[in-house]
Amino acid sequence: MTRKVILLVEDNPDDEELALLAFKRSNLANEVVIARDGVEALDYLFGGNGRVAGIVPQVVLLDLKLPRVDGLEVLRRVRADERTHRLPVVILTSSKEDEDLMRGYDLGANSYVRKPVDFDRFVEAVRHLQMYWLVLNEPPPQTR
Amino acid sequence: MREFAASIVETVRHPLLVLDSSLRVCSANSAFQSMFTVRGEQVSGHPVIAPGGPLDIPELRDRLAQLADGGDGFNGFEVTHHFSSTGPKTLLLNARRVLNEDDRSPMILLAIEDVTDAKRAEDALKGLNEELESRVRQRTAQLEAANKEMEAFCYSVSHDLRAPLRAIDGFAQELLNGYGETLDGTARHYLARMRANSQRMAELIDDLLLLSRLSRAEMTVRPVDLTALAEEVAAELRQGEPDRELVFSAQQGMTASGDARLLRVVFENILRNAWKFTSKKPQAIVEIGRTESDRRAAFFVRDDGAGFDMRYVGNLFGAFQRLHHEKDFPGTGIGLAIVQRIVHRHGGRVWAEGEVGRGATFYFTLPGEGMA
Repeated sequence: MTRKVILLVEDNPDDEELALLAFKRSNLANEVVIARDGVEALDYLFGGNGRVAGIVPQVVLLDLKLPRVDGLEVLRRVRADERTHRLPVVILTSSKEDEDLMRGYDLGANSYVRKPVDFDRFVEAVRHLQMYWLVLNEPPPQTR
Repeated sequence: MREFAASIVETVRHPLLVLDSSLRVCSANSAFQSMFTVRGEQVSGHPVIAPGGPLDIPELRDRLAQLADGGDGFNGFEVTHHFSSTGPKTLLLNARRVLNEDDRSPMILLAIEDVTDAKRAEDALKGLNEELESRVRQRTAQLEAANKEMEAFCYSVSHDLRAPLRAIDGFAQELLNGYGETLDGTARHYLARMRANSQRMAELIDDLLLLSRLSRAEMTVRPVDLTALAEEVAAELRQGEPDRELVFSAQQGMTASGDARLLRVVFENILRNAWKFTSKKPQAIVEIGRTESDRRAAFFVRDDGAGFDMRYVGNLFGAFQRLHHEKDFPGTGIGLAIVQRIVHRHGGRVWAEGEVGRGATFYFTLPGEGMA
């Protein structure tokens, strides 16, 4: 039985800690891998810098404002590569600006979720995301 | 007949010259004599373009020579020349060939109009217009730059201000979750206040962003069916709380010129308020209609709900200003600020009347001019 991995791309350490707490609170036993910026995310997915590519995640939760390589660039490269072309990517970010929404969807994001300030609602959102993308949604067939 | 023609030439207010086929002056009327400060005898018999004479203008010489040679006459020939007697002048000239009545010999009529002042006024006007256009271009560029900066600012606010609020709210909640039993009531209360305030601040940030976005949004101005808009928004409110006993009554056939999207936001905010402030009554009525104010059409939304104290009406449209307590009627107080901003962008006015416990009426005009 393949492990279901969630790749969380998040640079803010507070947001990372709260996200992990939220995952813990949702009581669903999924593995969460953290990438702290775009470069780490791409290295995880494609290997590089001496790392072997990790398990293809079931879903990528992608923040937009990241240092070095930003979220949209990660998305662009993920969609450009045959291996990750269909990989479900959920943009998980603070912004609700139309521009970000449009560019995200234009670049092929599957979903766009705005991080609520209210922690309880954030826990709820994280639970919903897991239930949807890891249980309800049919992932694309593995290409490797 | 000759006398008649001569009288005409004399009476006409513009300088008129009669020349023979060799371009010598046969007669010059009084208007010519006074404009060029010469006496008839001084020019009579001399070539019209005599060097040093009153019409010693090179450009005119060529045109007249052509005419004398059998070429066409001309109308409205413009020439600017510095005259020794009068300084620089701009003249319009008509010239044509005619036949002398007595002996059918060819003659030339030359009529002159002094358009110096008119030209100067025209140039001044053009100069002013160019200056105005340049200023408009400058202001537009400034406005666009300001809008771009505002956009960038809002983008930053959208991302960067909310993250720390999330952290405050999240860690406060985790304190409650993880250490709830070790904390006494007061500590738990303080943590709850921290959470409430960070969430409140997030709401305020969102409202400010909305207000800013609405101020910058491009307007597409078209005729808008206000009745339909009001009824749509009312239906949405009712869908949210179908059990409320509230009667919406919208006057039929209300239309105005404006941006449909923004006007919808106006109705959403005013009607949501009416819905909210009548919520303590078992039954309520909300009327939407059109009336006259200062001989102009004004639209109004009237409810019979909580109303407000007219002493504080000046605060009503300020951002985040509230005339009621949060615990009675929740809200951030941005709704009417948004309404005012949109109505102002349409060139209109907005005002309100109310009475505590009896209800409130909100008016706005959409004049269809002065939009920004």
